[in-house]
Amino acid sequence: MSENKTYNIVFGGIGGQGVLKASEICGLAAMLAGYSVTKSEIHGMSQRGGSVESYVRFGSEIHSPLIPAGCAEYLVCFHEEEYPRLKPFLAEDGRDYVSYIEIAKKSIENPRTLNTFLVGVLSASLPIDVEFWMAALEQVFPEKIQELNKKVFLEGREVGTK
Amino acid sequence: MYASKHVGLNVAMDPLMTASYTGVTAGFVIVVCDDPGMHSSQNEQDTRWVGLYSKMPVLEPSNPREAKEFVKEAFEISEKFDTPVILRMVTRVSHTKQDMDLGERIVPEQPPLEKNPAKYVMVPKLAYKKHILVEERLNKLREFAEKTSLNKVEMNDTKMGIITSSMAYSYVKEAYPKASILKLGFSYPFCDEKIRKFAKSVDELVVVEELDPFIETHIKAMGIEAKTKDPSFMIGELRPELIKPLINGEKKVEKENKDRPPRLCPGCPHFFSFNAMKKLDLFVAGDIGCYTLACLPPLQTLHTTVCMGAGVTFNEGLRKANPDAKIVGVVGDSTFVHSGVTGLINAVYNNAKGVIFILDNSITAMTGGQQNPATGMTIRNEKTKQLDLKALCLACGVDHVDVIDPVKENKEFEALVEKRVNQDALSVIIAKHPCKLIKNLG
Ligand SMILES: Cc1ncc(C[n+]2csc(CCOP(=O)(O)OP(=O)(O)O)c2C)c(N)n1
Repeated sequence: MSENKTYNIVFGGIGGQGVLKASEICGLAAMLAGYSVTKSEIHGMSQRGGSVESYVRFGSEIHSPLIPAGCAEYLVCFHEEEYPRLKPFLAEDGRDYVSYIEIAKKSIENPRTLNTFLVGVLSASLPIDVEFWMAALEQVFPEKIQELNKKVFLEGREVGTK
Repeated sequence: MYASKHVGLNVAMDPLMTASYTGVTAGFVIVVCDDPGMHSSQNEQDTRWVGLYSKMPVLEPSNPREAKEFVKEAFEISEKFDTPVILRMVTRVSHTKQDMDLGERIVPEQPPLEKNPAKYVMVPKLAYKKHILVEERLNKLREFAEKTSLNKVEMNDTKMGIITSSMAYSYVKEAYPKASILKLGFSYPFCDEKIRKFAKSVDELVVVEELDPFIETHIKAMGIEAKTKDPSFMIGELRPELIKPLINGEKKVEKENKDRPPRLCPGCPHFFSFNAMKKLDLFVAGDIGCYTLACLPPLQTLHTTVCMGAGVTFNEGLRKANPDAKIVGVVGDSTFVHSGVTGLINAVYNNAKGVIFILDNSITAMTGGQQNPATGMTIRNEKTKQLDLKALCLACGVDHVDVIDPVKENKEFEALVEKRVNQDALSVIIAKHPCKLIKNLG
């Protein structure tokens, strides 16, 4: 956490996929790990199947909650059809997680846990200890689905570590 | 404290304008959020003008942390200057989360209720005296604007100085970390001396603001030379990557919006109601709620949207101008209670005809599932008395009121719509079926 760096992550997909929940988990985990965080989203239409995107930034001095085009080090896309729209956010040497949608779909039993799986994959590349991710999952999900989401998260994290 | 989006403040403009005259007994802060880019709004109005128009101070935070701090400042200014204070937000401030330290909560003493007609009875003679005080107050606020740390100068490279406010400040910091900046946190009334001094201290002055040229108009009236944006930047929201072209005086390059449009949820009760209207090829005066989405394919069965309540009033107005057209109006349960019922009373009074559909999905769905007076629950989800929509419409004096489920009684619903549309009467059809999201919304 001593390094002087900002992490820029763009999450995007369509309403109902849990995009905002994913960015919420990520923002919370970063905050619990002691980073300064901003998380921005538009959720007016998210329940009605429209495009949804959310930006998480953490690390040293952050001003804009929006991530400029070409500046995201991480792009977590939840839906292939949304990918062309989201791709311009990614920095040239940024990490693109679009290929993990297929892997996630094969791995998870409940399609509603796609978001948790993808956050798990992402988590493997972020400087946030697993305990903070677990704490964030506990804050975000109601008790009866916490265990399931922790399991799916760890499966994603394992895939992301490879 | 009052809170709404920009269009909500429009509805409150009548009391607001005179609240400026009465002033306050204890702190009164008006939190209002504009929506540059219209993420979920029907216009892009810039509420900073309301400060100028109502002669009340405007504070503009540039991030959530500041928003929290500014609320405290706003309450202090309100009490010190005996004025309501506008805390003007934008979507990107309101829809951002940020880590922050919470301060100590201070619970002030409740002031006693006193009879003070000179302050609170705004009849012409008393209001005239108050107007004198309002102008004096503005002058005091101008002095305050010069001193307050809410208007902050950050001196760096003196080649270029940027005057900015609100979220635009955050984008400027991102795009020009080395520029000198005058950040107007207290953006009305203006700090003329501070602005003049800042302008003198830099080689070139630039104004960066989202939406209208609010700061620009003022400093130009002061006779200060400044580089300002191409008018194309008055439209839509800013982003960090738009700051450079804006400052360079370029025209904004309009990008095609590739966002996937929202749609009615699968199985939405509104779909069934509109399907019946579509079959009859009606002209549908619309309103604001999830049902506005019926304007999009595949339904394309909603033909006007302006403001809350217009589903009812447009039916009346359009019929006056087009006596032979098949016109109906739609409105939601929440919107009907908010501002539909006044239009219905007006329609009855003026002997208007037509069919008004109240699409009662027993929730305020579009905005995230809030309760409303017709649901029988308070905004905090506690039980309360339920408004009886049918009895209310009957009391207004409409000719027919039917309550029917457009999903479960679909055939009967379609037959009823056809019957009512062809009658020379004013009817209300309450299409009642709960929103699909209610259990998820809880
Ligand atoms: C004056 C004003 N206040 C608030 C809003 C925000 N708003 C948009 S839709 C809506 C309510 C919609 O509820 P309802 O009419 O019950 O329709 P539903 O979405 O449930 O179908 C509100 C309050 C607005 N557009 N205008």
